[in-house]
Formats: sequence, C-alpha cells, structure tokens
Amino acid sequence: MESGQSTVAAVPTKEWVLEPETEYRFELDPGTSLAVKLIRGQAEIFGTELVDGKAYVFGQECKAAVFTWQGCTIEMSPILSLCTLRCPSTEYVSEETPMAAYANVHTALEQRRVRALQAIRGSPISDDSVPAEPPRVLVLGPANSGKTTVCKILTNYAVRTGQGWSPILVNVDPNEGGWAVPGAISAASVNTPIVTSSTANTLGSVATSAPVTLSSNALLPLFYWYGHKEAKRNPLLMDRLIRNLGQNVQDRNEDPEAVSSGLIVDTPAAFASSTGSGLKDDQRQVLIKACVDAFNINIILVIGHEKLTIEMQRIFGGRINVVKIPKSGGVVELDHSYRERVHGYQLHTYMYGLRIEPPLGVSDATLGGEPITDLTLAPSSLQISFEDLAIFRIGEEAMAPQSALPIGATRALSEMQPVAVDPAKGGSRLINSILALLAPPNPDEAERYDEEVLDLTVVGFIVVTALDIPSRKMTILSPNQGSLAGRTAIVGSFEWSEQ
Amino acid sequence: MKLPAFYLLDAISKNVYEPYARHFTPFIIPLFLETYEQVDQNTRSKMEEMLLTWRTGAPNGKELFGVGPQVSIERAIWGGGDSGYGADASRAGRGGTTVAPVSKAQVLSELDFTLSQRERSLQQNPYDTTAQNHVNVLRQLRTLVEAGVSQDELRDVLNQLRALARSMPAPPAAAPQQPSYQSPPPQPSVPQYPPVPTTFSQPATYGVPASEPSYSHQPSYSPPPRAETKPWASTLPPASALLQNTIAPATIPAGTSASVAGPSSIPLNNIENLFSALVKAGVVSSNNGTPVGAGATAKVEDVKPGEVDPARQTSQEYRRAVLSQKIKLTNADITKQRPQVVPFLYDRLSSQCKQCGLRFAGNSIGKKKLEEHLDMHFRQNRKAGQNVGRGHSRSWFIGVEDWLHEISDSKGKGRADRRLTAKEAAVVAAKEEEAALRASHVVVPPGDEAKPISCPICKETLQSEFLEDEEEWVWKNAVKKEERIYHATCHAEALKSNRLAALMRSEKASRSRSVTPDKLSLRTTPPRGGNSDADGSVRVPASPSTQTRFAGTKRKADDPDSPIKEGGGTPPLKKMTISTAA
Ligand SMILES: [Zn+2]
Ligand SMILES: [Zn+2]
Repeated sequence: MESGQSTVAAVPTKEWVLEPETEYRFELDPGTSLAVKLIRGQAEIFGTELVDGKAYVFGQECKAAVFTWQGCTIEMSPILSLCTLRCPSTEYVSEETPMAAYANVHTALEQRRVRALQAIRGSPISDDSVPAEPPRVLVLGPANSGKTTVCKILTNYAVRTGQGWSPILVNVDPNEGGWAVPGAISAASVNTPIVTSSTANTLGSVATSAPVTLSSNALLPLFYWYGHKEAKRNPLLMDRLIRNLGQNVQDRNEDPEAVSSGLIVDTPAAFASSTGSGLKDDQRQVLIKACVDAFNINIILVIGHEKLTIEMQRIFGGRINVVKIPKSGGVVELDHSYRERVHGYQLHTYMYGLRIEPPLGVSDATLGGEPITDLTLAPSSLQISFEDLAIFRIGEEAMAPQSALPIGATRALSEMQPVAVDPAKGGSRLINSILALLAPPNPDEAERYDEEVLDLTVVGFIVVTALDIPSRKMTILSPNQGSLAGRTAIVGSFEWSEQ
Repeated sequence: MKLPAFYLLDAISKNVYEPYARHFTPFIIPLFLETYEQVDQNTRSKMEEMLLTWRTGAPNGKELFGVGPQVSIERAIWGGGDSGYGADASRAGRGGTTVAPVSKAQVLSELDFTLSQRERSLQQNPYDTTAQNHVNVLRQLRTLVEAGVSQDELRDVLNQLRALARSMPAPPAAAPQQPSYQSPPPQPSVPQYPPVPTTFSQPATYGVPASEPSYSHQPSYSPPPRAETKPWASTLPPASALLQNTIAPATIPAGTSASVAGPSSIPLNNIENLFSALVKAGVVSSNNGTPVGAGATAKVEDVKPGEVDPARQTSQEYRRAVLSQKIKLTNADITKQRPQVVPFLYDRLSSQCKQCGLRFAGNSIGKKKLEEHLDMHFRQNRKAGQNVGRGHSRSWFIGVEDWLHEISDSKGKGRADRRLTAKEAAVVAAKEEEAALRASHVVVPPGDEAKPISCPICKETLQSEFLEDEEEWVWKNAVKKEERIYHATCHAEALKSNRLAALMRSEKASRSRSVTPDKLSLRTTPPRGGNSDADGSVRVPASPSTQTRFAGTKRKADDPDSPIKEGGGTPPLKKMTISTAA
C-alpha cells in the first residue's frame, strides 16, 4: 500500500495510504526513534485517535499499529538511528485486524455501562436483555497474544465516547509492571485516551511535577509490590496482593459514571497456560479465581485460546460471561532479552522521565500527546544511614543463615514472611536492587501486625547504588528529594543500574 | 547558538547590565535572528517570550539592548512596519504605504505576555475583579485569535490588546519586568520610535524583508493553522465586528485606520462592555450549533427554559443508539457483526482538540468542554515555560486513603490540571523546597573551620556547625557551585529569578545517561536527629505532589528539638523481627 517514496534524498519521508480497516504496523530497534504524522483521513493507535499534522514520536523499541476505520494517509519520518537512516526493522500494512471484533466487544461493554448507569440513577430500564452491571473484565491470553493491547483499546474506546466514563485499568502482570517498574501490580482510573509512544509506559504515565495536559499522562495508580517478574516465584504473595488491590478498587468512592464504567484487568501470560509459566494448573486457577473474586469479574475475555476458553467456561461459565476474542496478527514474539531491555526503559523513565529524541527534521513533535521537552525528570542521589531505612525480603528466598535468625526461630520460613535485610551483612544483595518504598504503617501501634508490610501500598521505587559498610551508609537513587528516614522498603529480585 | 546560551546571555545582561548588555548590543541582532532561523517552533516561541522581556529589561525599564536592536529583531521575526514594536494603530498606513501584515504569532505572544502579567497580579490579589475581568477577556481574545481570524481582525485585536494593556494598572512588584508600553501615558512613548523606520532598517542583511513576516511560525501551544478543518472557524463572528460593536464610538474600523485616533483616544475602561460583547456574540452564534470561539461558550450552560438540555439529549441519543444494537457477548456475535459504534468515536463528536485529538460533542456543552480543555493546554504550556527552577521530579505515589477518595473528575477538566494548579500545592511546594534547601550543607574543608565565609549573594556569614555523627564541621544551608559556597536558599532564589537553572537542569538531565545523578540534583544528606514522620499524619487530598512535598517538609535540619514522633525512633523493623521469631 506504499504510495511512493519521496525523491528528495535529504528528507526521505515515506507516505503510506491505508484502506479502511487496515493497519500499518511497525517495530523499532533499540536506539531508534520514529515519527508518524497523519496527513489525511482518520487514524488511531491502540484506540487513541491521532491529530492530523502532529508528529507522533515513538522510541524504546515501541511496537505499534496505526489503524484506520475510514482510510487515511500517514507519513513516516526517517528513523533516527545511531548508525544510519533507515526504515523500522519491521513495517508492513495488514488488512487482517481484529478491530471489528474489539469494537463489538466495546459496544457490548458500553451497553452494560449504560444499563448500569440507568440502574444507579433509577432511570427507566430500556432493555433488560443487558445486565445492569458495570462491565468488570478480566483479559486472559497466552504470552504475546496482545492482552495489554486489548485492555488499552477497550479502555481508550470507553473514555472516547464522551459519556464521562473513567474505567479502572488494572495490571496484575508483574512482568509488565503497569505504570511504574516491573514487579508491581497496580490499578488506576483512566479518563482520557492513553497515548502510545514507548515500551516504558504502555498504559500511560504516572503524575510527576511536570505539567501535562492529558490526564492519562498524570495517572494516579495504586501500587503493590510483588517484586518478581514471574508469578510462579511466589503465587501465595501474588494472591494476597491481588486481593489487596481488589479490595481497594471495590472500596473506592466514585460517582455514578465512574462506577458504571467498570474495570479492565490485564493479566500475566502465566495465568493462561502452565506450559512455560511454571505454575501448576491448580495454582493458575487459584490466581485467576483471586482476580475474579477481588475485582468481582463478570466478563472474561480470552484471546485466541480455545482450550483456555473452554476451561474458563467450565469453571466460571454459570455466572460469568466467557468470550473468546480473536488475536491480532500484529502481535510479535518477544524474547527474554527484549523484556530485560524494556524493564531498563521503565526504570529509566521512572527516574528520569520519558525522553526520546525525535528523528532529525521533525518539528512540532508530540511524545505521548505532550510537547516533547517537558517530560524530563531529575532524580536525587541521597546518602542515608543503614538505620534510616528498614528493608525486608518476603518469603523463603530471603532465608537468612541460621545464625542470623532470632533465637527459637525455625528455618522453615513461610513464603509470606517478611525478613529484615541487614545491609551490613555480606550477601545482602542490595547493590543495584530495586526497592519498593512502602506507605507508612498504621500509626496506631495496636493495629499493627507481623505481615503488615505485605499489605502496604508502594509510594515509590528507589535503587541502592552504593553501600559503605564501614560507615554504615548507603547511596540511594530516589525519584525525588523526599526523606527516607524511618521508612520501610521491600526488596525483590529486580536489579537496575545505569549504563 | 543554543537556547540555553541565550538564557545565559539574557540572565547576565539583566542582572549585570553594565557593562555586559552594552557588549552584547552590537551583535545581538544577527545572533538572535540567526539562531531563530535555525531552531524549531517550540524554541522560537521561547525566544519570542524572551524577546518581549527585553523590551523593558534594562534597569531603567527600557530596552535591554537599546531600542534599535529591539525594533529590528521584532520586525524581522514578526513582520515589520506598522504592526511592529512601538508602532501603533494610529500609524498604520501612514503616508499611504501598504500596511504590513500582523502575524498571528505576534498577537499571541503579546496576548500571552499581557495575560501572564494580569494573572500574576490576580494571583497576588485574588479579589481584584477588574483583573479577573481582564484575564477573562484576554483568554477569550486568545481563543478567538487562535481559532484563526482575518488579517484585519488580527490588527484590531492587537490594537485592542494594546489599549487594554495601557489601561491596566501597573502589575505588582513581583513582576519586575514590567514593560513600559503597559504603563504610563502612551503618547509620550511614541516619539521614541520614529514613525519612519529608516533608522532601524536592518532586515535585508538577514534576508528578512521588513514588510512581510518571514516565518510562518506558530507558538508551540497553538494548533497548526488549518482553518478549514475547524468546522466552526468560518462562522466565527469577526473579531473586529465584535470589538467594534462594543467599543463602538472610538473603535478603529479595521483596515481603514489611517486617520484614526491614536491609542490614547480609545476608551480604556470599557472592559466590561468588551467582555459582555464577547459573551453575547457567543451566545448568539451558539444557537445554530456550529460556532464556538471565545465567547461562544461563556454562557452556554444558560439553557433557556423550555429548551432541551443538549447534554442530556446527546447522552440519551447515545444510550439509545448503543442499547439498540443487537449484540451479545458471544464468540459468534463478536466476530460476525459489523461494528456500528465507530461514528460515535469520530463523527458524532465533531469538536476536536487539534493539539491532543480529544473529541467533544458538537453541541454547546461539548464546545464548552473543548474550550476548557484548550484553556488547560494553554495554561500547561505556559507552566511548562515557567519552570520553577529546579527541574521536575517524580512524586511519591498516592496513598490508599487518597486513592480511595480521589474524586473522579470525568466532567471536563483533566485531573492533572486540578492537581497541579492547586494553590495549596504551590505554597506547600515552596515550603518544602525551602526546608530541603535549609537541610543541605557543605562540609568545611579541614583547617577552614575558623575562617568566616560569606554568601556571595546576600553577603551574610555562613553558619557552621559540628555534626556529631559525621564528626565534621559543615556549613548549614549551603551549596557549593563552581567552587563558591552560597546559601542554598539564596542560590536557589537567584536561579529561580532567571530561569537559568531550569534550563541547565533539563539540559543536563537529557544527557543523564552519562552523568551520575549526584551532579544532576542538589545532593542532600538527611538530617541528624530530626525525624520524618509518616505522610499519614498530614493529609492533602487529591494531590500526590503535595503529599510528597509534605514528606519533604519533614526535614527539620534546623530544628533538632522538634519532637520525635512515637515510633519514629523505633522503626517497625524491630517489632517485626521479634514477632517473626514467635
Ligand atoms: Zn487537547
Ligand atoms: Zn545568602
């Protein structure tokens, strides 16, 4: 569908003419960026509409698709690359997209929202064939099936209707990390479309002190810290955190439109299949059940997976609408090293803000829907005493040598046991570790309990960059200058160091 | 020359006028124009902002680099002749010469500049209804201009703007760079700028014809000029007509202004009229559902009795349409049906923001939302330009209590805006900033303990103190920059005043991959003795940044006697370890 290449060598922009209901897909290599401009017609990226004439910048190995319902012409900048000007490593136009099916799912969800709102308002019921319950959707699918993309499209469509919806988007895939860093599970209310620009913020961005216009770039998620990328590492902890998150989602005070908007839950691939996930089938089902209970799920969407659809229908069929939806052909296999790099982008973005150099000659560029200069952040390097911060590891892998255990303790630590980490001891493995800084514990001593750290939300992430054992100090990279004294943190299995 | 370098030059010249400004004067014109030609739109609008401050940047309130360079540069970038600096409508077309075009960018720049001054004065005196009115009118004007108006209307708006500017009281002291054209009697100031611009005939040298705008530039915050894509632009009431109607007697008819009175004869205090005219024009034209524009939305919520509430009507229509679709959540229905909702995502929401793509209903309510939304873009953009001096950072995340009660604001303004504009947040932020600064200290080099040193800014002696834990002497409230020790607070204040810091910081941060974070931000050491209490004790709803700031406020470096909160000295760690043993 390529209409022609510019003949001017200096500005090798490229135009693509897309027929209705087709999409242009691209994948970026590390270190490259790309700008896409809508010239004619209408187009959207994962459900977020593009404004014509604006250069949308992508980077950090972003893989995306420009889809058009009505047909359009788009212009691609040359790639900004360290080596040479070239095209994205992969780019093509596809006429096979699952968008029609996704739009139908959206319609069905809209019907429920409308009915739920009518019910809340006590309006006359116009159609009782549709349940008057807000749609609470769990999205399941194997690895690389496009779960996050489906969640994003459905969320974006909901907030684009102009009906005042603000669905809660939930991420319980710790490998994905949601809005901050990998290892976290989180939930945020979304009320403007999420703009795609980087692998570092696929679900939108969390608020910083930098001014932004789109609320999807200033989200206020609630975080819990699981600390590992794989669900199999500590399924019990996953279960508990999912339930904690769900409880808060259900306790949230909201207006009728927000309540009617429902929620959409993105899950790890491990929930879909025991093959490769290391989770046994029963563990998998327990975690799915945890989600279903915690978020009061009434719709399960299974992406392109017959066996799982049947399994879900068998378990939940009576009370939950289980629907198989098609998988996009644009979803690519992601290897392990790719994930590692994405984790790096996420951490860097968390500390330093989203920063992608636009390709040469691109002006009036927008990154994530905001002017490109305003998203840079300055983290702080703080030196603190060992005593300032109480650090815990959760569960068995924190197992300390026998001598370090309190008298009378047995070696059999439970998976849920918070164990203090002493930075002064060798083998603390704190250097370069990502720590989740927790919200303060209950100020009422009487209300505290052993495992309280498991149930505290995360206020931020910090990285231990240096340890000075003789003077009992450590250097911390922190997103801001807030004091860490007297706070509690949990260390997981993620490390990060700046290149 | 890069923008940061310009800010440096700007800062030096303003702060140490003699002899630097004079040194720069001979080459400021080519320097500015050459740079301007090479940079992107964003940077250009920043440079334009800076240029406007130069008008009154000298200590005596006059042009920082002299009137000649000022006029030359302004003419070169905004088009020359009569629309340029110092040229009033009274001189338009004088001597039968062609009237030079007024560029939209110029009008927007001047609008923004005046608007920001009014907003600042409003901030200082929130009950000043006149200022409030001014701000309202200016915002509406801005929307009008941004929506795209004719050349004549642009000129008219510019004239009106200058008239308004003159009528305004002087901005408060906090606005040190008060342009002279805003304040005293306009008439005397005119002779400073000879009507015949031969004295300042520069442009040819820089390839910029004086008579036409050489760049079709737009400030970064304005959408691309696509009048044809804005369905309402065409039906916009002409600004000139609008303005003429209200300020009728003395208004200059657009385009035929050759013999019309000078600025002083424009009624200056008729701002209420102007405002209400804007509103009226909007209401009148909003009936047919198409135009939006400035005033159009100011009163749209006044639905006349008997009329159907358009918002409700649209919603009902939407709900009916959605519910009428026979679709079931089944594999078959999902994959076989043709989706019917697409028009509801596009065409049925006909007012689109050309900055971010958000769509709003085509009715008056939708347009009001669009207007609020555009207003927000504008404010965010300006805020981005007025970085507080320390760069941005990521706040701590919101806590459970705040998250649970975060009010879903789905009816209009984005949350980001609400959080960031909160006045309390600013106050708290300032306090936190100061506390953090006071907590920072510099270690006294061995042997220098007895040596008194003074802060280069305030000239006062820096206080030193012996830190027991560190076993070393430190200067309190101190930072070391380029081998000199400043009061941290003085230094930050100085940085703030010229925005240099913000720029330097963001420049550095952009290269951060290769720079250690220590160099990026103020390095602080947590205070001894003082304790940081949980955020829990102070709750600032709906403001994560605020909350963070509070966490920071708890540094009580200067207040070692502050009571230590219960549990503060005993981190939960201890209890935890003991109980795990049980
Ligand atoms: Zn917008
Ligand atoms: Zn000082």
